[in-house]
Amino acid sequence: MITYRNIHKAFDQPVLQGIDLTVDAGEMFALFGPSGTGKSVLLKTTLSLIVPDRGDVEVDGISVYRGGPDALGRVRRRVGYVFQNAALFDSLNVYDNVAMGIPEEELARTAKLDVARRVWSAIETVNLDPAEVMAKIPAELSGGMRKRVGIARAIVGRPKVLLWDEPTTGLDPVNTAAVERLITRLSDELEVTSLLVTHDVEGGLLMCDRVAMLDGGHLRFCGTPDEFRKSPDPRVRAFVDRAAAEAALDNGTNAA
Amino acid sequence: MKRSTRALPVPSFIHRWLSGFGRASVITLDHAGALGILSVGIVKAIAQGRVRSQDVLRQMYIMGIQSLPIVFVTASLAGIVTSQQGGYQLASTSPAYLLGTLVVQSVVLELGPLLTAIVLVGRIGARITAELGTMVVSEQIDAFEALGRDPVAILGAPRVIAGVITMPLLVGFADVIGIAAGMVAANLSTGLGTEAFLYGARLFWHSWDLFYGFSKSVVFGLIIPLVSVHMGLRTKGGAAGVGLTTTQAVMFMILALLIIDAMFPPLLLQ
Repeated sequence: MITYRNIHKAFDQPVLQGIDLTVDAGEMFALFGPSGTGKSVLLKTTLSLIVPDRGDVEVDGISVYRGGPDALGRVRRRVGYVFQNAALFDSLNVYDNVAMGIPEEELARTAKLDVARRVWSAIETVNLDPAEVMAKIPAELSGGMRKRVGIARAIVGRPKVLLWDEPTTGLDPVNTAAVERLITRLSDELEVTSLLVTHDVEGGLLMCDRVAMLDGGHLRFCGTPDEFRKSPDPRVRAFVDRAAAEAALDNGTNAA
Repeated sequence: MKRSTRALPVPSFIHRWLSGFGRASVITLDHAGALGILSVGIVKAIAQGRVRSQDVLRQMYIMGIQSLPIVFVTASLAGIVTSQQGGYQLASTSPAYLLGTLVVQSVVLELGPLLTAIVLVGRIGARITAELGTMVVSEQIDAFEALGRDPVAILGAPRVIAGVITMPLLVGFADVIGIAAGMVAANLSTGLGTEAFLYGARLFWHSWDLFYGFSKSVVFGLIIPLVSVHMGLRTKGGAAGVGLTTTQAVMFMILALLIIDAMFPPLLLQ
């Protein structure tokens, strides 16, 4: 379970203004919102990659900002983070990139053969051929393959929570659909809590148990996908309509 | 009696100067604080044994072995130019063997450490800032942290350790090459023989001078990677941000080297 309590964050302007949100254990949750509304910022506060000005985050009962010196380390060991552009380490090959997903202390006490088995299995899980990709460096992979390797790195540490930051951004429709199927399958198979930040509203509504919308630094909506579709809130309606229009445009462009 | 709440008019140039001074002070203190925190992080990583020796060796190879050709060229030219200009100045006023003194003292005290450091600013400092800056903007540094790894221990500490070890070795190499090139140039331009050159070199030689030159090299070897790592990790924005930070880092490093260089004589040559 992830709980955000009264999260405030400002850069030059206020971005998040008192966000309270709970993602239940085992739930798959999508966070929508127009660009620049702080969706990724909120996601990054979960692992203290961005420190909020006020407020706290709890992951499975461990407080990130008030839990003492070891709390952040314990939270980071429980959470797998899939970055927007995969954020693979340029100088490492796919094997070493994925192996970095195993927590440091665990890596030190695990036999090399077991590490290799886990890395191999994680790469297979994301539908890549380990024998083909393991020795390659990120620059030799396509965008879709890089995303999958990023997902493999996030799951190899056997997390309890998965955070997905725009996992389908920059992918063509075929790869988008494949990655979305992968997200659904992994969330079911690994029985993890998933929080997904995405621009792909239709995909998020199909995949997730609940959704929320950030707007103007506030949580504008939180509920089921059905409630979101039927929301009378004009800001939500405008966002849904714009997302639908953009999706239609994308489909038209791709069809052409 | 009614009090006026209107502020006294302040001339605009004073207002501008004060606000500029205030901004510069805040930026300086911000950098100083961040450099302090980075230094503590590096010392902690070293003390806790979290720095991998293969990372240090890799950085030493990049900073040391790969810098040898450019250091060789720079030191040779420095020795040759010093020798030629010194020969021209001393030709009619002083004994020719003083050219040996001039070349050796110039190279060991000043040219060897400073020119090698400036070469490393361009070759290594800019590279480190651009590399780490790119890792920041592509979220690789965030990824290290999300995976529970300390980027300072993995990326910062090996570069700083390698700089402190490599720089004195490079300066020693530069000294030898600079003196040898100066000796050959003295022979070719003024006809000064090797024995006379070495006699002049020994005449005013103090072992302290070598310590002085190497002390500088250790400090320069610390400053270059420390500043470049600091600037790289502060990069903001995309490709333009990386370019801007790299330029700022190079300016910052050269300025720091020249200021430290100017502080050395009153501290160690009195």
